[in-house]
Amino acid sequence: MKAQKNRTKNEFLYFAWRNKKLRIGIFILLFFILLAIVGPYLTPYDPWAYVGPPASGPSQKFWFGTTMFGQDVFSQFVHGLRPVFLVGAFGGGLATLIGTVIGFIAGYRGGWIDEILNTLTNVVLVIPTLALLLILAAYLGVRSFFIQAVFIGCTAWPWTARAVRAQTMSLKAREFVDLARISGMRATKIILTEIAPNMLSYLVMVFILQFGGAILNAATLDFIGLGPTRGISLGLMMQIALLWGALPLGMWWWFIPPGLTIALLVGALYITNVGLDEVFNPKLRGI
Amino acid sequence: MRGKWWVVLGIVALLASLAMGQEFPRAETLYISGAAWGPPTDWNPFITWSKANTSGTIGLIYEPLFFYDPLKDELIPWLAEYGEWKSDQLFEVKLREGLTWQDGTPLTAKDVVFTFELGKKYPAVWYSPMWDYLDSVVNVGDYHVEFSFKRTPLYQEFVNNLYNIAIVPKHIWETRTEEEITSGANENPIGSGSYKYYAHGPDRNVYIRNEDWWGKKILGLNPAPKYIVEIRFATNNLALGALLKGEIDLSNNFLPGIATLAQLGYVKTYLPEPPYMLSANTAVLFLNTTKKPMDDPAFRKALAYAINVDAIIERAFAGLVAKASPTALLPHLAKYVDEELVASLGFTYNPTKAKEILAAAGYKDLDGDGLVEAPDGSKIYLEVTCPFGWTDWMEAIRVISESAQAVGINVVHRYPDYGAWNTALVTGTFDMTLNNWASLSNTPWTVYNLLFNHPIRDIMGSGNFGRYNNPEVFALVDELAATPPWDEQGMKAICFKIQEILLTDLPMIPLWYNGLWAQYVEFTWTNFPGAYEGRPHWLPCTWAGYWQMGGLHTLCELKPAK
Amino acid sequence: MWRYLGRKFTIYVLTFFLAVTIDWVIPRFMPGNPVQTMLSRAALRAEAVEVMRGYYLKAFGLDVPIWQQYLNFWKAVFRGDLGISVYLFPKPVMKVIAEAIPYTLAILVPAILLSWLAGNKFGAFAARRKWLDSTLLPLGYFLTATPYMWLGILLAWGFGVALGWFPIAGGYSFAMTPHFSWKFVLDLLWHWFLPFASLFLVMFGGWAIGMRNMIIYELEADYAQYLESLGAPRRLIRNYAFHNALLPQITGLALQMGTIAAGAVVTETVFSYPGIGSLIVQAIQNQDYFLIQGCFLFIIIGVLLANFLVDIAYLIVDPRTRRGMLGET
Repeated sequence: MKAQKNRTKNEFLYFAWRNKKLRIGIFILLFFILLAIVGPYLTPYDPWAYVGPPASGPSQKFWFGTTMFGQDVFSQFVHGLRPVFLVGAFGGGLATLIGTVIGFIAGYRGGWIDEILNTLTNVVLVIPTLALLLILAAYLGVRSFFIQAVFIGCTAWPWTARAVRAQTMSLKAREFVDLARISGMRATKIILTEIAPNMLSYLVMVFILQFGGAILNAATLDFIGLGPTRGISLGLMMQIALLWGALPLGMWWWFIPPGLTIALLVGALYITNVGLDEVFNPKLRGI
Repeated sequence: MRGKWWVVLGIVALLASLAMGQEFPRAETLYISGAAWGPPTDWNPFITWSKANTSGTIGLIYEPLFFYDPLKDELIPWLAEYGEWKSDQLFEVKLREGLTWQDGTPLTAKDVVFTFELGKKYPAVWYSPMWDYLDSVVNVGDYHVEFSFKRTPLYQEFVNNLYNIAIVPKHIWETRTEEEITSGANENPIGSGSYKYYAHGPDRNVYIRNEDWWGKKILGLNPAPKYIVEIRFATNNLALGALLKGEIDLSNNFLPGIATLAQLGYVKTYLPEPPYMLSANTAVLFLNTTKKPMDDPAFRKALAYAINVDAIIERAFAGLVAKASPTALLPHLAKYVDEELVASLGFTYNPTKAKEILAAAGYKDLDGDGLVEAPDGSKIYLEVTCPFGWTDWMEAIRVISESAQAVGINVVHRYPDYGAWNTALVTGTFDMTLNNWASLSNTPWTVYNLLFNHPIRDIMGSGNFGRYNNPEVFALVDELAATPPWDEQGMKAICFKIQEILLTDLPMIPLWYNGLWAQYVEFTWTNFPGAYEGRPHWLPCTWAGYWQMGGLHTLCELKPAK
Repeated sequence: MWRYLGRKFTIYVLTFFLAVTIDWVIPRFMPGNPVQTMLSRAALRAEAVEVMRGYYLKAFGLDVPIWQQYLNFWKAVFRGDLGISVYLFPKPVMKVIAEAIPYTLAILVPAILLSWLAGNKFGAFAARRKWLDSTLLPLGYFLTATPYMWLGILLAWGFGVALGWFPIAGGYSFAMTPHFSWKFVLDLLWHWFLPFASLFLVMFGGWAIGMRNMIIYELEADYAQYLESLGAPRRLIRNYAFHNALLPQITGLALQMGTIAAGAVVTETVFSYPGIGSLIVQAIQNQDYFLIQGCFLFIIIGVLLANFLVDIAYLIVDPRTRRGMLGET
């Protein structure tokens, strides 16, 4: 039994390593995580301090150039990277958690509970979340990254709930679940010990997608001026750059890095997701 | 067969409608930007607060009795041929003969009387407070209007109103209800001015020259552009791009990069050297004197010495503004500044002195965190605010908080949304905030009325946001308001007294002069104003309230580039 | 099938009810008082302020008990009377929105439909074609991972500022007033292109990737393997796979509506395009209760309508529900 488990684990790692998508995705992610961790130590400048000549392009001293006011774009960039991961992980994690719990309950319990939860899911699904986020964010005068993450988590869960519900329903019909039920196991325990482990790979993928979605959502909020009122993030950088005329002045070094990084990060997450999918589903490994 | 006819007819109709194009010829059109901050919604001269978005309503479409030239500090008779003080309590205006409305009806003294009497009838009309001292406004014949007063008028306010109240046609407005007058949109306005309303869109206003304007003959003036297209750019960066490409001719937006561009000769500005811009109003840091420790003059004084105004000018405004006189008066009113007083009491950036003042007043760092505590030992935490999106001010308050932190005062900067900021401002819940709501005017009273607005009410909507309560200075401001404009010595004496209180007590801190942002390119139109040889001297400004302070004259001086 | 439609309908009605309620509730608890904001702009003296305040409270319906305000709000929604904008006083919200809606629809509808069609075609085409798959797949992932505003900024910078081919702001040229002529129509299209293109591209990436992955799933499914072993032509198998893969893509369209609406908001903001998106951002910045409510309401109606259309499309395409319609199950 144990030997077999080890073998599947090794097999997983083997295919994981052989999967090019997974390798690329994880490499990009690790790179940016590393940058977010050590980046702030690479630059001597405070992200808001006026340290150089205004509006000058990339140079040896200022790797990403300076803003309209002579702030160092690179140090804004590396400081702005941290909240991206923070909001992504926390917001995405919360959305995954809520979605999974609702999906499990709805899928496993069925009946009127399912009916109610399903309706709730569908309603939240249809209400344009941005509009809600807009209003909620405007409601709170002072906002933080944490609050932003909570907002995103509370509105992004429906598709996850739907997907988890469907998976749970199909697993519920399997023999080992029946067996557990007959042996008198409690519902919570069945979900946690029998159903959840069988969906673990799926849940990991859901989390990755939610992670990426949260990053994009946060950037959108920041960009339209509903981001945190303190601190710096990549979305805020883009907003400030646009506000201060980086576009007509052609100060590309100001608005290219933040957007490019978000796109690369989220793209890397998606590719990782597909890679994982291929590793988990041998059929997809392809030609 | 019959069906075919319809098709042919349809095509003909389509082609016919396509032929009726509407495009403004570039050589006859002046493109401007910088006045509007929102889509145009009304052309009602009585809704003053929305006029920024249709700034031409007063000055281009409707006209006041007088214009005012801040550069020479003199009134220019406009609809009026002259105005004369017959006695201390009787003012007579003689209208020009041959004035007409844009619909051809003659403009007479009856229209003037009607306009002023609207303020008597409806308290919601912005100039209704005049009727506290106005007794009557009557016409003598078609060309004479007599203003008589029941008590000493507030001369300063009265004269100011003479060039701000737009005269409206009685025959159109007399049938309107109170609601229509005070809050109607007044679409398709009929005024007396040199331009007519032509079209509008969410991001633009279009005016067309009034070829039958009375001023052509009587004043000998002829505005050069046939069309004026006034554009609202969502962000200033778009205005800059459009200006450099020559898509707009005159921009009254704040464009931080202009200093460099002016040096390189890409754009022209009124002043050929720094700060390049004329001054438009004074940016004042209001301190909430009802809150500790800002109720302590010593603390306020320390703060004034702590703020690095030069850094604000450099960083937030890229050198486009000038440091303000500590008396808050604009340069064109310099004759009312008590220079001796400024030399002895005026504050300058001096962090060492700020620290000394703090220490002397008992503000000491007790817990060793580098920040001082109040004399009673309590921690100090203050927020300095400005609305989110007011980018230059956002940078400015960042400098202010940094400056304060540098001398050990714990001030942080915050950017609430405009609505929240505004509510905090007028209800007095803010700590400290920037404000500049006294516009360029003919009298020092305007800015002192903002700084020392009184009495103190629950909602302070038009000044003294920090609720500084000092009956002595209030009395002085009232006295100034009631001083006749010809009594320059009297005005000076009162101003000096006000300035002494301002500088010793420092209930608010005047910091810099916001600029009269104006930059132009001369691809299509030349001869824009400038402070150098061979250029006309007018304020090159299209903001609301500035058309009659040089904006329209600027148009009259323009010449086609070819 | 009626049961299916009935359920869907219940959900839509519930959503609408909830959304309208939220729409009504939230602005009333926002910080800042819009009437106050407006009055302080007016800078009137105290007596005048009181007169004006009374007038505005009445004009905005804030002078009656809260439950009645709620009822009135419902009545007003059905009458299509959304109050008067504070920020654009004295213009009715309905009129403001009516002027903005054509612009939003003009970029959104073609962008959604064309990107969906093109993305699916292209994704199906690229799947399992090694060369295309390995070069364009990363591009597709990159596109779909791009924040809408950043692609907008990039296009505006590249084609607008650097190359100067397209304008970067506004709905039509400043040298024109709206009228019907080829020149004006071309001008409209010229301003429309970049906002449309940036929405289109981001969505296109998403659909192409989605379809490509679906097709690969389908091609690995038992029925495809079976057909292949029977020697069925590759084309036929692909057609089957494509047809089956379309269903989740249709559902995906419904799921994406909210995100797409968000994308339109930021895209319009980047290009200062005079649609609902720019409007809602301005309304929020100016604390305009009524305009925010109106915009939100229209976004909800739009999303519900789009969802409904997707449902219909699903019914038409899905053989199972179609069978259900004929009463076979």
